[in-house]
Amino acid sequence: MLAYLPYAIAAWVFLWGLYGIVTSKNLVHQVVCVAILQTSTYVLLLAIGYKVGGTAPVFADIPVGTSVVDPLVQALMLTDIVVEAAVMALLLSMVVKANELAGTVDPEELRFLMG
Amino acid sequence: MTTAIIPLPIAIPLIVAAFLAFAGKGIGRRACDLLAIATAAANLWMTAIILRGTWSQPQVYWFGNWWPRTGGVALGISFVVDAFGAALAMLVSLLTIAGLIFSWKIFEDTENHFQPLMLIFMAAMCGFSYTGDLFNLFVFFELMSVSAFALCGLKTLEPAPLQGAFNFAIVNTIGAFMIVMGIGLLYARTGALNFAQVGRSLGTHADALVLLAFLLIVVGYLAKAAIVPFHFWLADAHAVAPSPVCVLFSGVMVELGIYAVARIYWTIFAGSLAGHAHELRLIFIVMASITAVVGAVMCYAEHHLKRLLAFSTIAHSGLMLVGVGLLSPGALAGFVLYVLSHGVIKGGLFLCAGIVLHRFQRIGEDHLHGCGRGMWFTAALFILGAWGLAGAPPFATLLGEHFVSHSAEAVRLHWPVYIFIFAEVLTSAAVLRIAFRIFFGWGQPAPSDKSSQIEEKPETEQSHERTPAAMFLPAAALILLGIVLTFLPQIQSRASASAHEFANQSAYARSVLENVQITSTHKGEPENLSSSIVHSCIALLLSVLLALSTVFRDKLGRAVNFTRSLELGNSLLRRAHSGHPGDYVAWLSFGTAVVGLAFLWWLH
Repeated sequence: MLAYLPYAIAAWVFLWGLYGIVTSKNLVHQVVCVAILQTSTYVLLLAIGYKVGGTAPVFADIPVGTSVVDPLVQALMLTDIVVEAAVMALLLSMVVKANELAGTVDPEELRFLMG
Repeated sequence: MTTAIIPLPIAIPLIVAAFLAFAGKGIGRRACDLLAIATAAANLWMTAIILRGTWSQPQVYWFGNWWPRTGGVALGISFVVDAFGAALAMLVSLLTIAGLIFSWKIFEDTENHFQPLMLIFMAAMCGFSYTGDLFNLFVFFELMSVSAFALCGLKTLEPAPLQGAFNFAIVNTIGAFMIVMGIGLLYARTGALNFAQVGRSLGTHADALVLLAFLLIVVGYLAKAAIVPFHFWLADAHAVAPSPVCVLFSGVMVELGIYAVARIYWTIFAGSLAGHAHELRLIFIVMASITAVVGAVMCYAEHHLKRLLAFSTIAHSGLMLVGVGLLSPGALAGFVLYVLSHGVIKGGLFLCAGIVLHRFQRIGEDHLHGCGRGMWFTAALFILGAWGLAGAPPFATLLGEHFVSHSAEAVRLHWPVYIFIFAEVLTSAAVLRIAFRIFFGWGQPAPSDKSSQIEEKPETEQSHERTPAAMFLPAAALILLGIVLTFLPQIQSRASASAHEFANQSAYARSVLENVQITSTHKGEPENLSSSIVHSCIALLLSVLLALSTVFRDKLGRAVNFTRSLELGNSLLRRAHSGHPGDYVAWLSFGTAVVGLAFLWWLH
C-alpha cells in the first residue's frame, strides 16, 4: 500500500497546483503555483525510478550487481527542471513587464483581449 | 542520401542562432537578417533532400551510432523520418523564410533577438517532426514552446502582448506537465522511450494506467493544437504576436500538436487500443466538430483582423482533428494535405493582415472601413485566401477535404462533410467580408468589439503609402503555393501511400528496431474528386452570399438581419473567452475531466 503513496502525493500536488492557478489573484502567485504544479512531475518520476534498498546510480565505486535506482528517470527529471527553469524565468519577466506597463499584477485587471 | 544529413536541419539553425544572439549587435541588423534567411533557406534545401529520401521507406538516424543490436532493444535516441514528418519540416522551413523576409522592413531595432528566436523555433519544430523518441518529443515541444512564448511577447512596450504571451505560456506549460507525466507512466509500464519499442512492449495490452497515460499525452498535445476547450490561449496569442510570427503559429505550430497525437497513436497505442477504435473515433470526432463550430462562429464575430484569423485557425484545427480522429490511413492522407495547404494559405493571410497593419497602423475592421481602396493586389490576395479557406478548386485544401470526408463515408459517418462545409463557409465569408469592407469600402462600417479597439503599437514607425516588395512577395508566394500544391505530380498517390506507411505500426517498429526495410505495397490511385468539387463550390457560393449580405445588410432589409447576430456573436460564448489565465486553466481541467470520463465510460 505504501508503494502507492508517492503517486497519490503527485496527484495531490498536481491538483492543488491547478487550484492555485485557477483561483489566483496575483500573477506572481500564479507563476509560483505553476512551479508547485510542476513539482508533482518530479515526485512522479522519482517514484517510478525508485527501488527499495537501491543506492545512487554511480557505478564507479560500487560492486557489480548492486541494486540501484533507475538513472534514466533522474535524467528525465533533470531535463524537466532545466526546461521549466527557462519557462519560470520567462513568465516572471513577463509579470515584471506587465507591472511596469499596466501598474498591476492582478490578472483580472490585465484583460485587454477578450470576447 | 546518407542518413547523416538528418540532424543538420536542427543543429545548424541552433548554432547560427547562438552566434546571432551573441554577435547580432556587432554585425548589424541587415547582416543578421541575411544570415537568418540564408540559414532558413539552407534548411529548406536540406529538408527537401530528406523528404526525397523518405519516399521508399522511413530513414532512421541513431545519435552516437547507438543503433539497436541483437534482440532489437533500442537504448539510443533516434530520429525516424518518414514522408509526413519530412513534409512538415519542409513546411516549417518555408514559413520561416516567408516570416523572415516579411520582417525585413519591420522591427527597427535588433535588441529583441527576433532572428535567433525564429531560428530556434524553426529548429525545434523540425526536431519535433523528425524525432522517434518520446522524451525528445517533449524536449522539442518545450523548446518550441519557450521560443514561441518569447516571440509572442516580443512587443514588450504594450500590455496586451504580455497578456497574450502569459496566457499562452500558462496553458501550454500545464499541457507540457501533463505530457511529461504521461511519458513517465508509459516508461513505468514499458521501460522504454523509443516509440517503436514502447509500442511493441505494450502490444495489445490496455489497462487503466495505459489509458491514463494516453489521456495525459493526448490532452497535452491537444492543448497545443487549440482544440475546444483548450483553445482559449490561441486567440489571445495570435492577436498580439508580430505578423511574421503568427505565420508560424497558425501555419504549422498548432498543426504539430495534432501531428503528435497521430504519431503517438499510430506508433504506440494503435495495437493496445485497437479494440476500442470505434469509441475513440467518436470521442475525437465529437471534440473536433465542437472545435470547428465554435471556431467558425467566433471567427465570424471578430473584428480584429488577426484575432479573426486566429479563430479561423481554431476552426480549421478542428477540421484537421477530424482527419486524424477517423483513425484510418485515408483520412490521414487528407490530414497531411490539409495541413500543408492550410499552412501556406493561412500564413499568407496573416502576412496580408501584417501589410494592412503596416499601411494603416490599425488592425480593427471598424476603423479600416474603405481605407484600402486602390490596394488591388492585397485585396486580390485576401480574396484568393478566402477562396482557399473555402476549400474550393484549384486550392489543395480541396484534396484534404476530399480524402477526409471520403474516409468518413467509409466508416458510415456522414456528418463530418457538413462540419467541413459549415466551418469553411463561415471562415471564408469572414475574410471576404473584411476584403469587401476594407478594400472596396462597401456597405456600412463594421460594428466594433472590445478586441478591435486594442491600440496595437504598429510594427513600423509611421503609416506608409506603399507596400514594400519584401512584404507583398512572401504573402503572394504563400497563397499561390496553395494552388501549386494541387498540381504537384503524384501528390495524391504520394500522400496516400505515405499515410498507409504512417499507420502501419508493425512495419514502423521493424524498420526502426530491426532495420528491416519494408517497401510499401500500397499504390494510391488518383481519386474521383467530382463530389467534393460540388461540395466546395457550394461552400464558396454560400460564403460569397453570406459576406455580401453581411456587408449590404442595410440595403437588403429584414431578410438578412440574421447576419447582424452572426456578426455580433453569441454573448455567452464571447464571455467564455474572458482573457483570464485562471479561467483558461479551469477550462483545461474541465476538458481533461470530460475526456477522461469519456475514456472511462467507453474504453475501460
